[in-house]
Amino acid sequence: MNSNIAIRAEGLGKRYKLGALGSQHNSLRDALQAAFRPKKASGPTEFWALKDASFEIKRGENVGIVGLNGAGKSTLLKTLSQIVTPTTGKAEITGRLGALLEVGTGFHRELTGRENVFLYGSILGMSRAEVATKFDQIIAFSEIEKFIDTPVKRYSSGMYVRLAFAVAANLDPDILLLDEVLAVGDLGFQKKCIDFTRSLERRGSTILFVSHNMFSIKSMCPRVIYLRKGEIVFDGPTDEGLKLYEADSRLAQAPWYRHEGLEPPAVSIIDVKLMDEAGAEKSVFNFGERMRVRFRYRTTRPIERPEIRVGFDRADEVHCCTFSTFDDNIDIPMIDGEGELELTTAPINMVADQYMVTFNIRERTHQLCGQLGGTFHVRHPLFISHSYGVFHQPGQWKVNTRDQQAPQLVVNGRDR
Amino acid sequence: MTPADASAATTPPATPLRARTSERRTLIRPDRGLFDLELDQIWRSRGLLATLVKRDIMVLYRQAALGAAWAVIQPIFAVIIFTIVFGIIAKIPTPGDVPYAIFAFAAVLPWNYFAESVRRGGTGLVTEEELVRKVYFPRLLIPLAGTIGPILDFLIGFVVLLILMAFFGIAPTWRLIAIPPLLVLAGMCALSISMWIGPINVRYRDVKHTLPFILQIWMYASPVVYSFSIVPDNLKWIVALNPMVGVIEAFRWAVFGEGVLDPIAIGVSGVLIVVLFFGGLVFFKRMERSFADLI
Repeated sequence: MNSNIAIRAEGLGKRYKLGALGSQHNSLRDALQAAFRPKKASGPTEFWALKDASFEIKRGENVGIVGLNGAGKSTLLKTLSQIVTPTTGKAEITGRLGALLEVGTGFHRELTGRENVFLYGSILGMSRAEVATKFDQIIAFSEIEKFIDTPVKRYSSGMYVRLAFAVAANLDPDILLLDEVLAVGDLGFQKKCIDFTRSLERRGSTILFVSHNMFSIKSMCPRVIYLRKGEIVFDGPTDEGLKLYEADSRLAQAPWYRHEGLEPPAVSIIDVKLMDEAGAEKSVFNFGERMRVRFRYRTTRPIERPEIRVGFDRADEVHCCTFSTFDDNIDIPMIDGEGELELTTAPINMVADQYMVTFNIRERTHQLCGQLGGTFHVRHPLFISHSYGVFHQPGQWKVNTRDQQAPQLVVNGRDR
Repeated sequence: MTPADASAATTPPATPLRARTSERRTLIRPDRGLFDLELDQIWRSRGLLATLVKRDIMVLYRQAALGAAWAVIQPIFAVIIFTIVFGIIAKIPTPGDVPYAIFAFAAVLPWNYFAESVRRGGTGLVTEEELVRKVYFPRLLIPLAGTIGPILDFLIGFVVLLILMAFFGIAPTWRLIAIPPLLVLAGMCALSISMWIGPINVRYRDVKHTLPFILQIWMYASPVVYSFSIVPDNLKWIVALNPMVGVIEAFRWAVFGEGVLDPIAIGVSGVLIVVLFFGGLVFFKRMERSFADLI
């Protein structure tokens, strides 16, 4: 067998019984009641979270796994890390595997940071001696030396994540499975984590990376596997795969929105166009340009006084701004059936990056719809998020280089 | 300093790929033989087992104001109450005039160890829900850790027993060497029960509520407050179906030499523990595969 293969999966599938998952019998009483109740004959009783997944991943390869919510990304990682048992197929893994499905799982609140480093290390599969030799490195990476002998229940969530990732990052596995874990902590730490993952990559580790953040996928993985409803629909170059994903994620439900109840949402966005002021459709906007967002909605019932919001989220899911009909004093007495709205934004002053349009419709305080409306880029040679933060606006400065002189007013420093 | 610089400073030096790469092969497949118990994995994860045990002990004693003193207070209180109720009021006879306090303490120790192990081992899968859902490790470590942790309490209690014996003027004998194997037997018994009820608890959370109740009844069905010798002869074999009977009686024998080592009781207990143990192991391994789906 070719020893250059790190992961080989053949027909991997995972079936969940809906009865067991949705209305799990948490107590004997429920089970007894269910046994005496006639079986409800509604809908399918099982579903495949992952279906017939076959792929090979070579040693040292970095592969991104993308897909909408519920596409089976996490199930795939959980199967490969042996947390869940597949229903069909098999997979063979060569080398030491480390999985980070959630940072900090296994931390104990009552124990100190130091004790938790050892605990978490051995949960992830390191020996005590191994943790001990890497201890200083781990602490330095986490940047929380001062609190290492404090129980972690006193930590802020940021400190918690830092320490957990620092341990995990030093696991030094041959194969690393990462599930969205980099989307934690502040931007500086995130950057550090990504850099660290890159250094693992340089050392020849194989990385499987699940993320909604197309930016990190693009920068880390030359290859993506795209899952749709449990099936691999694309496996190949990242650019091609992400195009498919972006097409699918247009108008998809936003990751932060969960629709409750069985009936379809009361209102949904059915079409979106992103245009410049002249009305030309495009997806790359210059910094300072206005954008026209034209979108169609469809309702299943009349909605009185809805509030319609359009938001921009950066690719790493940082919510950057919101336009709201309420805030702009637009009174919509009622929407019913289909209709169209158009928003013209103020000049975009978010720095160059990739953004996602989001829609959010509310009736009083109740959220009726949360959808994604496609991605766009902002272009600027200088203003990038790494050095300029989220947005850029010119400021007014008073400069006084020598005390004797009267302060000199410089307006719009850039234009000086 | 930009974040990139900061990380460059703390990034560990690159280890050559060759040195790190392991050739370990893991095969993931839906079906595993009924008797493929993967015990080698337990051995490989012994470090984690030790860490889990240590964590349980640290957490338990750190959260309690009196800390390790509980390991002393709890059995002493139980014995005081038993001595008053069963020794003084009900006047339950003890074999060979052994003071009732010693008589009871010698049984409370192994019983408490057993009950605590079952409680921790049986409910551990659910209390460690987060771990089970997000991290892979041999699930058997959880009941195992539950069985090993309470040994510390047992040892502390045992020292108290020795002090109590000195107080009543009972000299320890060579029979005390029977205690370590008896403790192993009690541990095996507890582990067997945990391997059965642990997976059931994952499915039906009722177990958590019924367990204290069952353990209470079980204690009275075991010769903790009374002696096996006062059980009517025609009921002895039924009582001996309780695997803890043999263990507790043998414990008393080891501590103060009284009480006959009933060969029937020990035999029945032994066979039952072995059957429960291997049955439990197979059952646990079978059910283990669905834990992450159900929890």
